[in-house]
Amino acid sequence: MRRRMLGLALPAVAASLALVAGCSSGSSGSTSTGGSTSGGKGGTLTIGSSVAPPTLDLTANPAAAIDEVFDYNVYQHLVQLDPKGQIVPVLATSYSWSANRKTITFTLRKGVKFSNGDPMTAADVVYSIKRVVAPKSTYPYKALMGTVTSVTKVSSDQVAVTLSQPNNEWLYQFAAYSNGVILDPAAVSKIATQPVGTGPYKYSSEVSNYSITLVKNPDYWGTAPGPSTVVFRYFANSNAENSALQSGQIQVIDNLSNPPDAKQFQGNSAYKIISGPTNGKIQLTLNNTAGPLKNVLVRRAISYAIDKAAIVQTTAAGYGTVIGSDTVPGDPWYSPSYAKVYPYNPGKARQLLTQAGYPHGFNITLTLPPYGYATAAGPLIAANLKSVGINVTIKDIQWPLWLSQVFTNHNFDMTIVDHVEARDIGNYAIPSYYWQYNKTSQVASLLAAGDAAPTQAGQVAKYTQVLKMITADAVNCWLYNPDQITVAKSNIVGLPATGLTESFNLMYASIGGTLSSQAKAQGFAG
Amino acid sequence: MSALLQALRRLLILIASLFAASVLVFLVLAVLPGSPAQVILGTQATPASVAALTAKLGLDKPLWQQYADWVGGLLTGHLGISYISGQPIWAQLSAALQVTVPLILMGLAVGVLIAVPLGMISALRADRPSGALVSALSQVGIAIPTFVGGILLIIVFAVTVHLLPSGGFVTWQQSPVQAFRSLILPAIALGVVEGAILSRFVRASILEVLRSDYYRTARAKGLRPLQALRRHGTRNALIPVVTVFGLEMAGLIVGAIVVENVFTLPGVGTMLLQAVDNRDLLLVQDVVIGVSAVVLLLNFLVDLSYRLLDPRVGSRP
Repeated sequence: MRRRMLGLALPAVAASLALVAGCSSGSSGSTSTGGSTSGGKGGTLTIGSSVAPPTLDLTANPAAAIDEVFDYNVYQHLVQLDPKGQIVPVLATSYSWSANRKTITFTLRKGVKFSNGDPMTAADVVYSIKRVVAPKSTYPYKALMGTVTSVTKVSSDQVAVTLSQPNNEWLYQFAAYSNGVILDPAAVSKIATQPVGTGPYKYSSEVSNYSITLVKNPDYWGTAPGPSTVVFRYFANSNAENSALQSGQIQVIDNLSNPPDAKQFQGNSAYKIISGPTNGKIQLTLNNTAGPLKNVLVRRAISYAIDKAAIVQTTAAGYGTVIGSDTVPGDPWYSPSYAKVYPYNPGKARQLLTQAGYPHGFNITLTLPPYGYATAAGPLIAANLKSVGINVTIKDIQWPLWLSQVFTNHNFDMTIVDHVEARDIGNYAIPSYYWQYNKTSQVASLLAAGDAAPTQAGQVAKYTQVLKMITADAVNCWLYNPDQITVAKSNIVGLPATGLTESFNLMYASIGGTLSSQAKAQGFAG
Repeated sequence: MSALLQALRRLLILIASLFAASVLVFLVLAVLPGSPAQVILGTQATPASVAALTAKLGLDKPLWQQYADWVGGLLTGHLGISYISGQPIWAQLSAALQVTVPLILMGLAVGVLIAVPLGMISALRADRPSGALVSALSQVGIAIPTFVGGILLIIVFAVTVHLLPSGGFVTWQQSPVQAFRSLILPAIALGVVEGAILSRFVRASILEVLRSDYYRTARAKGLRPLQALRRHGTRNALIPVVTVFGLEMAGLIVGAIVVENVFTLPGVGTMLLQAVDNRDLLLVQDVVIGVSAVVLLLNFLVDLSYRLLDPRVGSRP
C-alpha cells in the first residue's frame, strides 16, 4: 500500500547506486522528451483513489497521495524515474559527473515555462535545490539530500551540485522523491493553495477531502498530454470506489486498496487490470530488544513459522512477491535467493524455540496500524505462531499512535508495516531505528564502502553483504513486496504499469488511442 | 424575575458553557498521543526537521499560550491556518459547510414532514389498528441505524432504479440542481430516524392534549378534533417537541457525519474525521468548538422560545 510513507530516509552515507553508470565521470543521460500517444485526444479522465492528499504542498508532507497527483504531472524534476525505475532526463537535457564523482553538472532544457507563464531559469533551479537543504527546511525527504555542500549556477543553462563525498545513490533519490521538484520562486508563497510547476498538467481546483482537478498546461514544453482534464476523486470506502468504477463515475482505480476486490473485474472485457511491483516491503517488524526477540534463534524460528506465500495469496490475492529480505525485484542488488532462506517449516521453528530455551513458547503482542494489509495479515500470523507455541495478542491502534508508541518510543514487540520507500536498506544503519538492530555500525560502514565503490558491481557486492547479514540475523520477518493494482476501463491507455514511482505518471495517459512503443518501453501500459 | 434578566442569565450560562467547552476541547486534543509534526513529516524525517516544524507550528509554546492564541484568534474571527494543508481553515470549513448545512436542513425538513403527520395520526387514532401500525412503524424507524438506512436507500434508488446518485457531490457553483439531487438520498437517510424519534414525542404530546380539560371543553362547545387541536392544543403540544428538537439537533449533526461517510460527501463530518486522523489539531478544535457553539446556541434559543410558546414560563417566581 502506497498510502502511507514509511521508512526513514537513507542517511547520506547509506544506500547508493549509480543506475546511470553514474560512477564514472562524464556519463550522461540521453534526451527524451517523451513520445506521444496517437489518437484519443481530449476528454476528462477521472481517477479514483483511496486517500485524499492532506495538503497540495508536496514539499511539506511525504504522503504518497500528494506525490501521486502532483509529482511529474504538475511539478517536474531535472531527472525523473520512468515506471521501470530508470532515470530519465526531463528538465535537464543531460548531466555529467566530475572526475572525483562529487560534482554533478546539469544542462537545463531551454524554453521551459512554469504554468503561470514565468520562464524557468538556472536561478530557479538553484533556488529549488537550496530550499531543500536549507537548515530550517522541513522537506520530508531532506535527509536524502544531506550531502550537498554547494549548489551553483555555472551558466544560464547549467547548474552544478557538489556533494561532500561520492554518493552514487544521490541521483536516483533526487529523481525519485519530491526533493527534486523545480519551483518558481515567485509562486512559492502560495504553494499550499496554488501549486505552480512545469509539468504537462496544471492545478485547477480542489474540493477538500473529495477531489482534485488538473487541466492541460498550455505552456507545457513537451508533447501535450491526451485528456484535457484529469480529476482525482477520493473514496474513503473501497466498496464505494469499486461501484463508482462499475457505474462509470470514474474510469480508473489507481491502486486497489483491497487486492481481493480485483476478482470483481477479472474476466470482464470492459476492464483491464494492470499490476506491477512497488518498492514496498510489507514486513513483520521485530523489536530486537524485546524479551525473547533478543535471541536470534527466536527471530529465526518466527521466520520459519510464518507461511509467507499463504499470506500473499490470502491477503493480497496473490498480487505480490515473497522477498525474504529488505530488497525488492526492482533493486539492482535483488536476488530471489533471500526468499528461500527461511522456508515455511513449523517443525524447524519448534526445534529452534526449544534450542533457544522456549520449548513451551511464550506470549507476545502484535501491534497493528489501521491498514488493510496489516489487519488482514495479523490473524494469519497469530495462527502460524500459535501452531509453534507462541501466543500472540493482537492490538489495533491508530496511525498517529503507532508513530508515537511504536516508531518513536519503541514500545512494542512486533508490528506489521509496509516500508514503501525505494532502496531503504540504510534504515539498518540507523542505531535508533525502531526495530533496534544491534549491528548498525557494521551496516553503516559496509554501505559507505558501497557508496565509495567505483563500479556498480563493487557496490552491489557491499549491499549484498548487508542483505546477507540482516537476513541471517532475521532482524525482521520480511513478508512480501506488494503489487500496485490499477483497474481501468479497457479504453484507457498509457497508465503506468508499475508502482515504482511515487507519481501516478499521466504523461502518456489517454482515453482511446494507441501507445507508442517508446512509452511501452518505459513501462507504460498499452 | 423580568424576562430580560432571565434572558441575560441564560446568556451568561451560554458563555460559561462555551468557555468550559473550549478548555475541554483544547485539553483533550493536547493530550491526544501523536505529535502533529511527526505525523506530518512521517518516518523519514530527521528529529531536527520534526523540531523545526513543531516550532513553526507554534506547538513548542506553553499550553496556556497555545490556548490563548487559539481563543484570541477565534474571538477576532481568525480560525487559523491548517497544520496539514497549509490553507486557511475558514476557506476549507466554508466549503464543507455548503454540504453539511443544506444536508442538515433538508434532513430536518424530512424529519418534520414525517414526524408531525405520523405523530398526529398515531395520537388521534391511538386506539385503532391504523394508529398502532403507524406507532410501530416509527419504532422501526428509530431502530434502523442511519448507515444501514443509507445503504438501503443507495441500493434501492441509486443501484436498482438509477433515480438518484449513489454518492458524491456536485458543488452548488457547478450546478445547483445536481447539488440538490445529490443531497436528497442523504437527507432522507438522515431525516427518517429523526422523524421517527420526533414523531414519538409529537404523539405523546398530542395524547396529553387530547386528555386535557381544555380540549374536552373545546370539543364540548362544538369544535371538531382537528379544529380544537389547532386552536387550543398546538402551543401546548409544541413545548416538549421543541425541547426534544433542540436536543435532537446534536443528533442530526452527529448523524450528518455518518451520512456523509456513507454517501462520500465532502462535508464537515468527512473533514473532521480526516482531520482527527491527520492530527490537524487546530482544525479539529475549530470544528468541535463550532459544533458545540451551535448546539449550545440552539438550546439557548429553545429556552427563550418557551416564553413565546407559553407565557406562564418566566412569570412564575
